[in-house]
Amino acid sequence: SIAHLSLCQTSPRSGPERVQSETSPSTPSLPVGLASDPSWSHPRCPDELFGDSLSLLLLSEPCAGAAGPAGEPEPPSEAGSCHQPLVKGSGASPAFPPSPPDIRNTVGNIPMEWYQDFPHIGYNLEGKKIYKPIRNKDELDMFLEKMENPDYWRTVQDKMTGADIKLTDEQVDLVHRLQKGQFGDVHFNPYEPAVDFFTHEVMIHPVTNRPADKRSFIPSLIEKEKVSKLVHAIKMGWIKPRKPKDDTPTYYDLWAHEDPNSILGRHKMHVPAPKMKLPGHEESYNPPPEYLLSEEEKLAWEQQEPAERKLNFVPQQYRCLRAVPAYSRFIHERFERCLDLYLCPRQRKMRVNVDPEDLIPKLPKPRDLQPFPTTQALVYRGHTSLVRCLSISPSGQWLVSGSDDCTVRFWEVCTARCMKTLPVGGVVKSVAWNPNPTICLVAICVEQSVLLVNPCLGDKLLYGATDQLLESYVAPEEERVQPVQWVTATMEEHSKGVRLVVQHSKAVKQVTWHGKGDYFASVVSDNSNMQVLIHQTSKRWSQNPFRKSKGLVQCVLFHPIRPYFFVATQRYVRVYNLLKQELTKKLMTNCKWVSSMAIHPGGDNIICGSYDSKLAWFDLDLSTRPYQLLRHHKKALRSVAFHKHYPLFASGSDDGTVIVCHGMVYNDLLQNPLLVPVKVLKGHAMTLDLGVLDVLFHPTQPWVFSSGADSTVRLYT
Amino acid sequence: MAQLTARFRTDNRRYAVEDVPFSVPAASETTDLSHLINKLLAAGHDHKYVEFDFLINGQFLRMPLVTHMEMENISTEEVVEIEYVEKYMAPQPEECIFHDDWISSVQATEEWILTGCYDQTARIWSLEGKSIMTIAGHTEVVKDVAWVKQDSLSCLLLSASMDQTVLLWEWNVEKNKVKALHCCRGHAGSVDSIAVDCTRTKFCSGSWDKMLKIWSAVPTEEEDEMEEAANRPRKKQKTEQLGLTRTPLATLSGHTEAVSSVLWSDTEEICSASWDHTIKLWDAETGDLKSTLTGNKVFNSVSYSPLCRRLASGSTDRHIRLWDPRSKDGSLVLLSLTSHTGWVTSVKWSPTHEHQLISGSLDNIVKLWDTRSCKAPLYDLAAHEDKVLCVDWTEAGLLLSGGADNKLYCYRYPATASDVGA
Repeated sequence: SIAHLSLCQTSPRSGPERVQSETSPSTPSLPVGLASDPSWSHPRCPDELFGDSLSLLLLSEPCAGAAGPAGEPEPPSEAGSCHQPLVKGSGASPAFPPSPPDIRNTVGNIPMEWYQDFPHIGYNLEGKKIYKPIRNKDELDMFLEKMENPDYWRTVQDKMTGADIKLTDEQVDLVHRLQKGQFGDVHFNPYEPAVDFFTHEVMIHPVTNRPADKRSFIPSLIEKEKVSKLVHAIKMGWIKPRKPKDDTPTYYDLWAHEDPNSILGRHKMHVPAPKMKLPGHEESYNPPPEYLLSEEEKLAWEQQEPAERKLNFVPQQYRCLRAVPAYSRFIHERFERCLDLYLCPRQRKMRVNVDPEDLIPKLPKPRDLQPFPTTQALVYRGHTSLVRCLSISPSGQWLVSGSDDCTVRFWEVCTARCMKTLPVGGVVKSVAWNPNPTICLVAICVEQSVLLVNPCLGDKLLYGATDQLLESYVAPEEERVQPVQWVTATMEEHSKGVRLVVQHSKAVKQVTWHGKGDYFASVVSDNSNMQVLIHQTSKRWSQNPFRKSKGLVQCVLFHPIRPYFFVATQRYVRVYNLLKQELTKKLMTNCKWVSSMAIHPGGDNIICGSYDSKLAWFDLDLSTRPYQLLRHHKKALRSVAFHKHYPLFASGSDDGTVIVCHGMVYNDLLQNPLLVPVKVLKGHAMTLDLGVLDVLFHPTQPWVFSSGADSTVRLYT
Repeated sequence: MAQLTARFRTDNRRYAVEDVPFSVPAASETTDLSHLINKLLAAGHDHKYVEFDFLINGQFLRMPLVTHMEMENISTEEVVEIEYVEKYMAPQPEECIFHDDWISSVQATEEWILTGCYDQTARIWSLEGKSIMTIAGHTEVVKDVAWVKQDSLSCLLLSASMDQTVLLWEWNVEKNKVKALHCCRGHAGSVDSIAVDCTRTKFCSGSWDKMLKIWSAVPTEEEDEMEEAANRPRKKQKTEQLGLTRTPLATLSGHTEAVSSVLWSDTEEICSASWDHTIKLWDAETGDLKSTLTGNKVFNSVSYSPLCRRLASGSTDRHIRLWDPRSKDGSLVLLSLTSHTGWVTSVKWSPTHEHQLISGSLDNIVKLWDTRSCKAPLYDLAAHEDKVLCVDWTEAGLLLSGGADNKLYCYRYPATASDVGA
């Protein structure tokens, strides 16, 4: 390594070729640190150049040589440990004067903090402890030294020995240079002219004397293959020669018709830009005399409206083209033309050409849907105030109506004869004839009670049997707590036909029978959970089926076949299963306030009338939303009804009309119900802004009854 | 076209004119033609002015000649044959008999009128409108009445009521006393219609309980055995009061709705009209259903004319329909007479004229029809102020109609000379 060092020192500027050629054989002899340094192979590594400077440094300060390269505190830390071998080498070299006491530390490159707590700082070559110099300087001493010692700034502490070292001028200079990023060597010129060893110019003589390869003489097989491929492609027409460029200039033909095959032209509704009229003879500077206007014509031209003129200029004759003045309207006309071009609609507005008739759904004609009620046949007169409610006997022979004149009237259907009048002493809100044909009983809502009345009409045996049935009641042994009171009618009431009085705590607004005719439900105007009560006539027993109020109940309904119970609140219809005692379904009516509801005799369809003049048809199998929402009425619906046998339903409204619709429900589950409005029945006079209050179908005939605020009941057939 | 060639013809030899074609103005109406015939007759011999009615192919002329021919699709090129008859006189109002309540039914003979009333009574009136007898006994509205037999001494009559019974009464004319002979029990609904057969020994009743029952109309001294022993004493007392209980000879069931009208169309044939939209013909002897005529509306009333052998039906629409009861295929309407605006509650054929019938309707009008003019009736009898519920036509030419205005109107409708001639 000494030889190498000297070589570096003696010939640092020798050619790289030589360096390379000579370093490669000497590599094995290199110390491990050097050989492993990758920067060594580079010819111009500045590290290599440190050799001089460091050796120089070591020459001047041999004691610092041991610590300098490893110098942690400030000086060239990047000089790093890689130079330590050099230092060692240099330290061992006989060229330097031997240092008097060799206090070199042998602990190596370890953090000196490890010796912090020891009195010594390491070991010398003989293995003796090197003791830390005695330091008893306190802060004050340090400060005083800093103030007094002019060399304080260049004094560093050697961590290996703990001694203070005063840097020489050269060392300080070196440190300054390295801090600035300059080369350590003062004499090193990094900008020496470069020498090209290989030129870019082709020289007549080869650089090497090697004979040419054989393959440079014989044709290449790969190239041959490539060429033959290209030739084949050309032959097959896969590669076409480039088209010769067409040099003929293209002009836009202003006057040509628009190409019908262009993209815009192919558009069906495209309107081509309007063309200007071609100039004619009259526009010539020297038009033939027949184009020139006479005096009268000129006068007429001036008097004409500008839009009506045939020509928008007066043809004029000039001696020569030179004499033609500037056209004063030129800018104006160009502007107009531009307006024409860009304001003109270039596309016809797509108008859907649909016959409005086609948009109407295909519904069968009402004529084909007969029978349905068409004309007013009978008027049942007798009430003196508005008739709120209607009901009909199961045989269809008798009609019962309840009115605000505090009476209930029984009518013979076919003659409109009032057979009986029953004063009940209160406004009648609802009547319901027992649907069981073997029982002759009518439930009547009067204020806070429900009267069960035997009208004594029809078969004597039947109404006699009904009385017997009611009398056969035996009171149970223990008194049960009931939400209502069952009272047997007094003798006076009995003679009028009243048999039982069910006294509620609040006003009753609706009563409806179950199909079997034993149970009936009543709705009380209340907002607690006591709104709906279900009563059993034979046992005189009432119960409250609901624990919680779900809103203001409008009306209730029994399913005709299955044990379901429908409760309509303002916006929803809830379907309860009476057997399982649970909520089965909740129908969203999409209406603001349900007024009435009716169920199809098949039991799968429900209609709901609402005060916001809508009628919602629900298919219970289909969805909980309305299958169809009919808005035929102009005012609030008061009542809806289904026919028992015919596919008919009707709705009565405050606008005084009854609308009869055909509502066919098919047995086929895949086919949706067919709803066709068939007839608007008018007849009721508007009284107090009220029209029809109740509608009802005859049980066997396609007839509809309506009761109105004009205190009549009307029959339409 | 101004002129038409027409040939006039009549069956009445008194008014016969020459059988030659005449040229008549195309726009001429009945009065013009009538004037023409009168002129022709006056030219021949001594003649009093007579109004005529004209028929072309059996249809009455009720509008200008050319319009009628266009409507009937008769060629105006050929000679038109016009038949003329003496114009029917308008029915002359005779009596207006006031009742206490609605009149549900009426039947008249040569001497008396029997009416059923909603005040639960039947009443006998003389033709002059004098009340002779009030028959009270029913506990409900009397729905129909019928004469069974008339003598100078005593008469038998029937009344059917909503109280499910038919009562057979004997009316002693001389003493003017009435006695209930039999109470016919068996119906389970209001008995709406009764009809006595031509032998006057049986009658048939139709009820709301969908049944037809045939009863004997011969008074006997013994009571029929009632099947049900569970009758309560109160009822028994009533039956004892009202004569002997009678049970039906036969029951005809087949209707699915209430029976609204029954009649004997022959000695052994019963015809019944029902709310189930059918008219059924029954064999009274065996009780079998012979045929069914099916309509599409509820039938309120049916009438049979032995002269023309047609059934006329009034239903809950505004049409009167004529049926041929012998047609086997059933539901064929021969003709419908349309002019009413309400339900036709009652129809009755003329017992003497094969073309004429009267009908009462809920539109308060009684109409007199000739089947040869089906678009317009011969006469409208608009006297009632409320619903007309029943009509009758006697052999003496008396038209009777009762209604919900508690009035029974009588009209004299003279049989015209042409009827006699025909």
